[in-house]
Amino acid sequence: MTGRVFRILLLLCVIALFCKACIVRDVQPKITSEVKTSASDLALSYSMPKNVTINGIDYLQSQAPVGIFGGTLVSSTIGEGPKTFNPFNCKDNTSAIMSGVMYDGLFTTNPVTGEVAPKLAKGYTISPDGKVYTIYLRQGIRWSDGKPITADDVVFTWQNIIFGGMGDTSTRDSLVINGKLPSVRKYGDNIVVFSTPEPYAPFLRMLSAPIAPKHVFYNAVQKGNAYFDSFLSTNAKPKDFVVSGAFKLKEYVPAQRVVFERNPNYYEINTKNQKLPYLDKLVYLIVGDLNNEVLKFEAKELDVISLQGSKVARYKSLEPHSDFKLYNLGPDTGTMYISMNLNNRKNDKGKFYVNPIKQKWFSDLNFRTAVDYAVDRKSMVLNIANGIGEPLFTSESLNSIYLNKKLKPYDKNLDKAKALLKKSGFRTDKKGRLFDKDGHRVEFDLYTNAGNTEREAIGVMVKQDLEDLGMKVNFKPIEFNSLVNKLVSTFDWDMVIMGLTGSPLEPNGGKNVWLSDGRLHMFNMRTPQEGKIGILPWERELDEMFDKGALATKFEDRKVYYDKYQEIVYTQKPMIYIYSPIRIVAIRNKFKNIYPTSLGGLTHNIEEIYINKPVRY
Amino acid sequence: MDTIKYILKRILQTIPLLIIVSMISFFIIRLSPVDPLAELKLNPSVSPETVEKERARLGLDKPVIVQYGKWAISFVKGDLGVTSTGEKVSQKLAERIPNTLLLTAIVILLTWLVGVPLGIIAAVRWRSNFDRLLTVMTSIGMAIPSFFFAVLLLMFAVKTGWFPIGGLTSPNFVDMSFGEKFWDITHHLILPVIVLFTISLAGLQRQMRANMLDVLDSDYVKFARAKGLSEWVVIYKHALRNAVNPMITLLGFEFAGLLSGAALTEYVFQYPGLGRLILEAVMKSDINLVMASLMMGAVMLILGNLIADILLIITDPRIRSKA
Repeated sequence: MTGRVFRILLLLCVIALFCKACIVRDVQPKITSEVKTSASDLALSYSMPKNVTINGIDYLQSQAPVGIFGGTLVSSTIGEGPKTFNPFNCKDNTSAIMSGVMYDGLFTTNPVTGEVAPKLAKGYTISPDGKVYTIYLRQGIRWSDGKPITADDVVFTWQNIIFGGMGDTSTRDSLVINGKLPSVRKYGDNIVVFSTPEPYAPFLRMLSAPIAPKHVFYNAVQKGNAYFDSFLSTNAKPKDFVVSGAFKLKEYVPAQRVVFERNPNYYEINTKNQKLPYLDKLVYLIVGDLNNEVLKFEAKELDVISLQGSKVARYKSLEPHSDFKLYNLGPDTGTMYISMNLNNRKNDKGKFYVNPIKQKWFSDLNFRTAVDYAVDRKSMVLNIANGIGEPLFTSESLNSIYLNKKLKPYDKNLDKAKALLKKSGFRTDKKGRLFDKDGHRVEFDLYTNAGNTEREAIGVMVKQDLEDLGMKVNFKPIEFNSLVNKLVSTFDWDMVIMGLTGSPLEPNGGKNVWLSDGRLHMFNMRTPQEGKIGILPWERELDEMFDKGALATKFEDRKVYYDKYQEIVYTQKPMIYIYSPIRIVAIRNKFKNIYPTSLGGLTHNIEEIYINKPVRY
Repeated sequence: MDTIKYILKRILQTIPLLIIVSMISFFIIRLSPVDPLAELKLNPSVSPETVEKERARLGLDKPVIVQYGKWAISFVKGDLGVTSTGEKVSQKLAERIPNTLLLTAIVILLTWLVGVPLGIIAAVRWRSNFDRLLTVMTSIGMAIPSFFFAVLLLMFAVKTGWFPIGGLTSPNFVDMSFGEKFWDITHHLILPVIVLFTISLAGLQRQMRANMLDVLDSDYVKFARAKGLSEWVVIYKHALRNAVNPMITLLGFEFAGLLSGAALTEYVFQYPGLGRLILEAVMKSDINLVMASLMMGAVMLILGNLIADILLIITDPRIRSKA
């Protein structure tokens, strides 16, 4: 008997020791808002490549320090890999990245300032009326097969592929201005002129669409849409690719990796006039999920990784004694928001989309503002995003070049919220329950898409915050497709937590959300038949700002309109923004010429990146 | 002659079965709330015209029954259609099938070569220490979930750096000599093979042991021993032949699992096989790809059973006379 007791005690001791060992080995969770190897400091020291002409050839000259040639950079893409390498047929992000490596556009975006910067074109002029764009191409630059890149290629790409409706037509769709498309003509071998029917500011940025080699794409375009869709698919042979970008496809292994090799004819040179890129190979491993990506990075199979929430703290503590460095790229372009259904119309069966009692609450600005003041953004950033986020108050994302910086953040303020509710006749009973002035209990549904853990967590916290005001919130995470259906088809919802991705460079991309007859004008959605029925004064103002913003051509003029639009959203609160996650990336120390920026990410200057002591595999 | 008639009959029977399987799967997928266009609808920069065009391209604008008819006609013609991104389904499958076959074939071969003899030895030395040890080992093997074991091994690989983290080939695979290529693939295969091998070995060894024990207890083995035959002849000539019958049925199922049995392990190890492809297809409701893989699974199962039955006819005279 004593033997057995002794044995059990011994066992317990061993277990306790194991537990102790486990606890000690765990890294203490730290709030790491101190990942301030901020991208912005490095970004300031980055100077864009300049145009130079040597022996009649217009090169782009890198201004970064001269590096060493050779080596490989291994990056990753999550999911099942690219669906196509045809740059005009990309419907998913991975495919777009892969073809973006190979095909340059006329212009690119300055990763620091967000301005338009030259790429295949060396410059442009815009006529005073804002309708005619004259593009000057580089002389003497060549495709990877040695044929010259000329105005013919540009005209063919725009006229026959993009305006011809080949492949993915989203660029074409967004360029139809008053039912007309822009026209394109060439003057000689190196000048191309675009004219738009009306001044249309977003057009210049759209000119960064890739340019196709006419001698390769011509036959595919002649054979029609169906053939074009499967042209340069993932089954195409690497030697069939004729590219203008820094890298060219070398090998694609389904579900494993995409390997690019350097394009010997690339038109960028360093200050010693040697042809870039420095790296011999660029590899994208195709990994199925985030966990595998992390494992691969830790096993040194990957050189670059972007980190999220909880992992940042761990990597931060590993960083001092490891061979990688963390960079903070600043807030993401994604925006997360709470929205209330302002719809006060009836459906075709004569029934209100939203219960009229609730309509009164949601259409009351005081009610919306009270909700806004009750939401505790700071604790959401701390608890949900592990401190790796930034509270958000504007409809443009924090790294947008159009961000209205005059709109100030504010803290949770329950007293103010309660005062606002009181002003509108809401009152609370002894148990703290909130009633409106007609005596109805304030109770509504809060939806989000199930499975998105981040939004579910936000939902729980919003529910708690609103219950502080005495509201009864029924939080219902539902399946994504059902939610989309509610938002864009049946309109039978009260409050929702959703997210949208915007462009940090072009607010006009959000017009579907903000225009009163937009297809994603969720907070007050109208059917196409209803048109602009029952438009609110501030909705009319938003419409005006977006119409004017698209027509103005100067940045300063546009900024005024888009500032105003953000101000309207900020005061009227159709959408209550919550926070933006911050992007943190890690890269091995051996890579040099790293100038991460918020707009360009880590590898925007992939042709300039080199390895300090290249190891050849 | 009878055997051929029997096989023909079996093949004819599979046709209505396949039709029912395809109908059920098609309607279940289409009735599920996954809307392949939901992402597109929520993208601010996509115009409603594009959404409509996509709907027409994917055939979603027609009633489900018409969609099924279209799919069935092209399937019968041998055309598996295109995925939702416009790639050929047959090509997608052809990329992955060899990889999955390589993995599962190695595993099946290893488990049978190791599992069957181990089962026999354990049965012959019933209740010996060796048998007990094997029982413990196989209990562990059967109890441990494959994905968990796979994750453990992956962590082991990360910590030691002895093995690559998933995949099938290294990034510089094309530049290798033949010997290096062979080693590279072997190196990548070791961990997934260990996982699948451990798990299927356990089941197989126990099955074989139980069958063998049954047979060893029977009258004719006692008679053979009483006749004074050597133990070797008793076990390997009389007992084994009778014990192996249920294993043949099992082999039929293993055949069915050739293409689909390793999906979970494949996913954890990021193995470029069918598992990952089909999982993604199901998530995105990529109907042609899902249907192709389901039909393939059904055909493999039917085929596996048929092969097992034929093998049984060959090995077992009792069944032969009935057929």
